[in-house]
This record gives sequence, C-alpha cells and structure tokens, in this order.
Amino acid sequence: MIEAHNVSKHFDDVQALAEVNLDIATGEFISIVGPSGCGKSTLLRIIADLVESPDAVIVKPNKGAFVFQDSALLPWRTVQGNVELLMELEGTDNKRSKAAVALKQVGLNGFEKSYPHQLSGGMKMRLSLARSLVLDPQYILLDEPLSAVDELTREVLQEELYDMWKKNKFTAILVTHNIAEAVYLSNRVVIMSPRPGKITDIVNIGSSLGFKERTPDIRTTSKFSKVVNEIAGKLRTWK
Amino acid sequence: MEVKKIIPPLLILVLFLASWHIGALIYNLPFLLPTPFAVAQTFISDFDIIMTGLGLTFRAAFTGYIVATILGITVATIMSLNKILERSLYPYAILLQTVPVVAVAPLIVLWFGFEIKSIIIISIIIALFPIINNTLLGLKSTPKTLVELFDYHGTNKFTSFFKLRFPAAIPNIIAGMKISAGLSVIGAIVGEFIIGSGSEAGGLGVQIIYAQADLETALVMALILTATSLGFAFFITVSSLGYYLLHKWHESEQ
Repeated sequence: MIEAHNVSKHFDDVQALAEVNLDIATGEFISIVGPSGCGKSTLLRIIADLVESPDAVIVKPNKGAFVFQDSALLPWRTVQGNVELLMELEGTDNKRSKAAVALKQVGLNGFEKSYPHQLSGGMKMRLSLARSLVLDPQYILLDEPLSAVDELTREVLQEELYDMWKKNKFTAILVTHNIAEAVYLSNRVVIMSPRPGKITDIVNIGSSLGFKERTPDIRTTSKFSKVVNEIAGKLRTWK
Repeated sequence: MEVKKIIPPLLILVLFLASWHIGALIYNLPFLLPTPFAVAQTFISDFDIIMTGLGLTFRAAFTGYIVATILGITVATIMSLNKILERSLYPYAILLQTVPVVAVAPLIVLWFGFEIKSIIIISIIIALFPIINNTLLGLKSTPKTLVELFDYHGTNKFTSFFKLRFPAAIPNIIAGMKISAGLSVIGAIVGEFIIGSGSEAGGLGVQIIYAQADLETALVMALILTATSLGFAFFITVSSLGYYLLHKWHESEQ
C-alpha cells in the first residue's frame, strides 16, 4: 500500500500541485499521465522524498527503487559495477549472485564488462531496471523510463516491464507521456490537469479493457484503442 | 600513435628549423642568433650545466605541481561542501590567478629565503588556480539524476563524494592539471630568476641569467628549450594519466 495525502507544491509563486490524494494498493500498477508541467514528476519525487512537501502525508513500504528517465548509470562503472551499485549503497549481501540473476533476467548476461556508453538506449534502461530489481523492492517509482528509446524498443520494453511486474510482484507508479503505454501496463491510469496539478480522473483499465493478461496483440484490438482514445479525450480538455 | 598523425607537426618543425638556419646564416651574428646546430652542440658541450639546472628546476616544479594539485583538489572540495564556503573562498582563489607573480616573487623570496622553498611556493601560486577552478566545476556539475539516485537511497555525504561526486569530477581535474603542468615549470623559472645569483647552484632560470650575462646565446636557447621540454613532459605525463583513467568511459578520451 502506498498513500500520498494532501500533496501540494509551490515553486516560487507558481502552484505546481494542489492537494493531491492518491492511494495505491499493494501490487498494483498505476500510471500517471498528464500534459507537461502538470507536476506528475514532482508528485513522484514527493512520494520518493526527493522533493519536500511540508503538509504531505506519505505512507510507503521500506524497500523501494526509483528509475530515472535517463537511466542514471555511472559512466565510469561497468555493467557489473552498475548493477551492484544500489546493493552497495543499501548494504545488501550476496551482490555477485543477485547481480547475475538480474542481468540474466534482462538479457544483459555476457555484457558484464561493458561500459554504459557501449550500450543501446534500451540496454541502458534494462540495466537500470535490473539494478532496481536486485534490491527486491516492494515498490518501484518510474519517471518516464522509456521516453529516451525508439518506438519499437519502447514496446518491447513495455512488455518486459510488464513481465517483471508480474514476476517480481512490486507495486509500481509510472509517470509517462505515452497513453498507450499507460493503458498497456496499468491497473489504473491517473489523469492530471496542469497548473495547478490536480487529479481530475482515474480510469480503471482492468474493468474497461477486460483482458486478464496483457499480451502484445491486445494493442491492436478495438477495446484497447477505445480506452486510449477515451483517456486522450480527457487530456485534450486543457489544450 | 599513427605515423600519419606525426607527419604534419614534424613538417612544421623542419620548416621552422630550416628558416631559422637560413636566417642565422644571412645575418651572421652568432652571438645574437646562433644556428640550430650551434644550439644542438651546446647540449653536448654544456651537458653538465644543463643537466644540473634541469635537475634543480625539475625538483622545484614537480614538488610545486604535486602540492598545487593536492592543495587545489582539497580547497575545491571544501568549497563544494556548501555555498557559503564557496562564496567566502572563491574571490581569494581568483586573486591567485590575477596577482602578478613576477611582482610578488621578490616578496616570497624575502620571506622564505634564497632557497628552493621560495621557488616551490611561487610555482604553487601560479599552478593552483586552474586546479581549484576545474575541480570545483567538476564537483558542482554532477548529473542531477545521479545525485537524486544517491539521495533516494539515503547515501551519506562521505559515500556520495567517493562513489559519485569525485569520480564524476575526474575529467575536470585532469583538464585543470593539464593547464597547470606548464604553469608549474614557468613558476619555478620565475622563482629562479628572482633568486638569481643569490643561490649557489642554480636551476635552469639561474643558468639562463648567467649565460645571458656571458652573451652565450646558444646556451640561453638550449636552456629555454630544456625548460619548455620539461613543461611539455609534465603535460604528456598528465595526458597519459588522463587517458588511462578516462578512455574506457569518457567522451574526451575516445
């Protein structure tokens, strides 16, 4: 269970977030969509305790991970060094074996000695996800993790992220610009309005989509596009 | 290095030496403008003087360079700890750069004596600022998401410094050290000029003054060439160190 209550944020005179309240069930996958400047990344950072919000009440499990848009890898460390980084910071045991399992899960085994600049955008993000998975987190916060990769890789990574979520059973909050991505991955999609950022709607994807398992072929179904268009329509209100 | 890359600068050198030689022959004033061959000969005839000078200047410049590097990185680290410290110290760091070293040098000699100590201090003063400035720039420009990643995991300042901020600043530190490599030798020569005949056995700067007084222009040139090569050697050493540390991951060495 993750709770974020009474989350507000001012940057100088601009109100970025106004009294946002959000409850996420354990094991749920939530996406937050909204136009640029609606404060969705700020909301995620307040939940992560990276940005202050004095009146906010945040309740979350102990073990979490944060995945950044640009992968946030240490360029001077190899793949192996990067996948072990967070375990070093958290003082985790059995770094070697856990790293090996995680690298295998994301298909980066064999690249242990490579440096980040030698990897493609997709591989970097896989490494960033693997580095978080080794912590065995109860929740993962994802800040537009797939926005830097090309469209084809993006869909493959969405499927991989979905499998990770199924297998590792963490609670996920994903901030994204991409509505289809949000629909494909989420139990619920949270829609936010800009300045001041507020939650205007929450769409329950599970009930409106009606698919139990998300497989790549659901993207081409009419139900899927209907849900995507419905959310797009709600977002277009502020243009 | 590939042979192709060496050819263009080598060609410039040959052209330069040839025009120098021709010019020296035309004007025919060997005590003002000796030929390149005369200068080359001095390296053999005055080998002892040049080597003694080189040894002393190397000792002063190298000590100054190492101290400036360690001190510069330390001062920059202190400044990077918080904004108030940076604002309090940075103006004085700039003064290191703007102070006319040649004018201050006599004061240093007055305070610390006609000894290698004074020469080292002058070398430090001139080599310090580029290292402070570049290190500070590096320590302050750690990518934001990496800082957030470490913050998210509640990493303490000490660990963040050694695992993140310092390694991220290494390319800048190397850049600063490259600028200071030549400067430390210049500082040592300036120091030796001021000490001059006051010292018993002199470095390259002192030898230049003696040779100039004796109108031994070829020796003056040989000594200048030696001092220049010393700075160049420092630069090459730091560049190699930079390559060794950075080529696997940083754009500047790929």
